[in-house]
Amino acid sequence: MTIIAISSDSYRMGREIGEKISKRLGYRYLDREILKEISAGSGISEGKLLKALEKTPSALGMSARDQAVYLAHIEKKVIGEFLKDNVVCHGLAAHLYVLGVSHVLKVRVLSNPEVLGKELAPGKDLSGDAMEKLIGRNENARKRWSLKAFSLDETDPSNYDMVISLNKIEINEAVKSIAEAVGYKKFKAMSYSLKCLKDEETAAEARTILFPRFPDAQVRANGPTVVVITKGMKREKQKKALIIKEMVGKIPGVNFVEVHIVNDILRQAAESLR
Amino acid sequence: MDKKVIVLILDDEPIVGKRLKPAVERMGCEVEVFEDPREALQRIDEKTFDIVVTDIRMDEIDGIEVLERVKKKSPRTKVIMITGYAMMALAREAMEKGAYDFIAKPFTPEELRKAIAKAAEALGTPLQNSVTQ
Repeated sequence: MTIIAISSDSYRMGREIGEKISKRLGYRYLDREILKEISAGSGISEGKLLKALEKTPSALGMSARDQAVYLAHIEKKVIGEFLKDNVVCHGLAAHLYVLGVSHVLKVRVLSNPEVLGKELAPGKDLSGDAMEKLIGRNENARKRWSLKAFSLDETDPSNYDMVISLNKIEINEAVKSIAEAVGYKKFKAMSYSLKCLKDEETAAEARTILFPRFPDAQVRANGPTVVVITKGMKREKQKKALIIKEMVGKIPGVNFVEVHIVNDILRQAAESLR
Repeated sequence: MDKKVIVLILDDEPIVGKRLKPAVERMGCEVEVFEDPREALQRIDEKTFDIVVTDIRMDEIDGIEVLERVKKKSPRTKVIMITGYAMMALAREAMEKGAYDFIAKPFTPEELRKAIAKAAEALGTPLQNSVTQ
């Protein structure tokens, strides 16, 4: 079982490459089409799920809490699909939430600036300078989005196994290189990497349950154990821990929930000033 | 009678070998346990094992070196790495150097039995009492 997670500055280009690799290797292809299924299962509209993948939370737009909930649902479903068989995935931010899974080949595809400029400003005839600025703004926006959503910089090459610039090589050469790299022994699934993936799925499921009520919760899973860290006031610590244990304990396969409530210094300070 | 799958288990923590030996023997394997990597390597030089299970972090000789020595002597031997310091880079290094599987500690004997059963099958000698007993 091998997984290829593709990230690209151009959705269209990432999709084209993803589809070609999946065809070449006979792998299943996964992209934003799956949002329909996630929407049906979670009751969250497809539009909101798409927005969570594209927009940074703002005071007038989507809240950080909503984005966290929507992304947790996407993460849970995508990892569930990864656990089934060989997959090529694009456009679902998988490269950011399976970063530590060794049998996921993470690829960044940088499109040709001219093609990207036309995609970002369709129908407009931009000068070289204007196009460069537009591409720069788009890159900064993606960087802000990924830092906010996953505390990782999507544009940082060190987060990938392979970075390909389509300004330098042809699409078919890129597809060939990715297909070859996937054959390296280091990207083979093993007990440890499959466990990491399963743990990520459990943690994502816990987030879908916890985030609507505890959006600041940090969740990790290790086999049947789930560890949750969240903030709280002294008097509410015990009650909060019990609620979290009950909520997460319902996940199939989870038999121990460890909750750490750290002091909410800001709320404590605010209350002491009243 | 079918040929027995011969397994070597190497871990410098005595409790690991002590716990795993009977669990693997119940699968129908012949098992030798070592705590000292030098003694294990000496035995590997003398005898060809079907499956080697080795810890990675050990004093003097680490598991990656054991893996390289095993693969050099017998490329068909399946090597299963176990470690309490599992990280993606180490897992990838082990696989690149020819490990068959990589398991993070703590693990249950059942998890190791599954990996051994899979390795035995890949060797063309499937075990009768694989994982359910």
